[in-house]
Amino acid sequence: MDCGTCESASPLQVHVPDEVEVDLTMTDKARDMLTDAFGDDRSHALLVGVLSGGCSGYMYDLQIVESTETPCQELNINGFRVLVPRASSHLLNGIEIDYVDRLMGGGFKINNPNASSSCGCGESFA
Amino acid sequence: MGLHHVDGYVLLLQGENILPFLDGLSSNLVNGPCTTVFTDRAAKIIDACDVLVIGENVALVGYGDEKDRLTRHLLDHLLGQNIQIRDISSLNKIYIGDGEEDYPPGATVHEGWFGTVCILGNSIDFEPTWTEEDWREHRIQNAIPFAKHEVTSRHHPFACGLAELVHSSKGCYLGQEVLTRMRSRGKFGHRLAVKENPVTGATTVGKAHSLSIERIQ
Repeated sequence: MDCGTCESASPLQVHVPDEVEVDLTMTDKARDMLTDAFGDDRSHALLVGVLSGGCSGYMYDLQIVESTETPCQELNINGFRVLVPRASSHLLNGIEIDYVDRLMGGGFKINNPNASSSCGCGESFA
Repeated sequence: MGLHHVDGYVLLLQGENILPFLDGLSSNLVNGPCTTVFTDRAAKIIDACDVLVIGENVALVGYGDEKDRLTRHLLDHLLGQNIQIRDISSLNKIYIGDGEEDYPPGATVHEGWFGTVCILGNSIDFEPTWTEEDWREHRIQNAIPFAKHEVTSRHHPFACGLAELVHSSKGCYLGQEVLTRMRSRGKFGHRLAVKENPVTGATTVGKAHSLSIERIQ
């Protein structure tokens, strides 16, 4: 295979959607659960990201991080630092972070007005 | 034994976490060299590709007319990941065969699901040993579906004989819910068949037998 000269084939151009200023809300239940998770320590942040994959094409990715190298918008929601990757901002604007308290399929949930569909488990969307 | 020249494309992916990225968008478990099927939300085929691991890079080799659609699909899902995609199709020629060939020096050889794939840079002279007809008869004898014939965007992988490329336990990917439901219910709608000629609506016509995608009653 001719890869030695692959530099002569320029990278395909990625269409990068315009970054939007993310508006994000959190339900009381989600806020309570995050309070339990963070305690009094506000040095960490909640990273709300999107990965490719999942049954519907995109998957939510929630992490508690100290910092990240990913370029992010930083929001303050109910006293919590929330980081949203700039590359995913168009997919996450307007979302509501909820917490569903049940034994099976419980946990943090994202209600996303941008999603045209989502998979059964609610972890991925399109 | 033989090797046939096919019209296809080679996309070179460079960057980080390339295999997990491809795994999340296709039906087979992609954790190394393999063949996998990229599907849309309705589980219809975008394209079936061989995945070659070349050092830290990954090459995707496809055989259909869907290069632009697949490329757009991949780019749309990058979301800022450190992966670059280069189209190196024009630098290489793609051959496919039964794996019993002596390959010229410089060949990149991959044991794929459709056959043994050999990729040669344009500067390497090589005369294919199989004609289009040889390849067609080989496919019919071995019930191998292929791009532009059976493997098209009108079908899902089960309908065109690609069930072996649909991993049953790898987890979520685009189209997975539909395919898992089909498999669990045993309802596939259509299937690949090898039939004696004449065959109405054949997708690949051979001398004595043909391939077709038939409705399951």
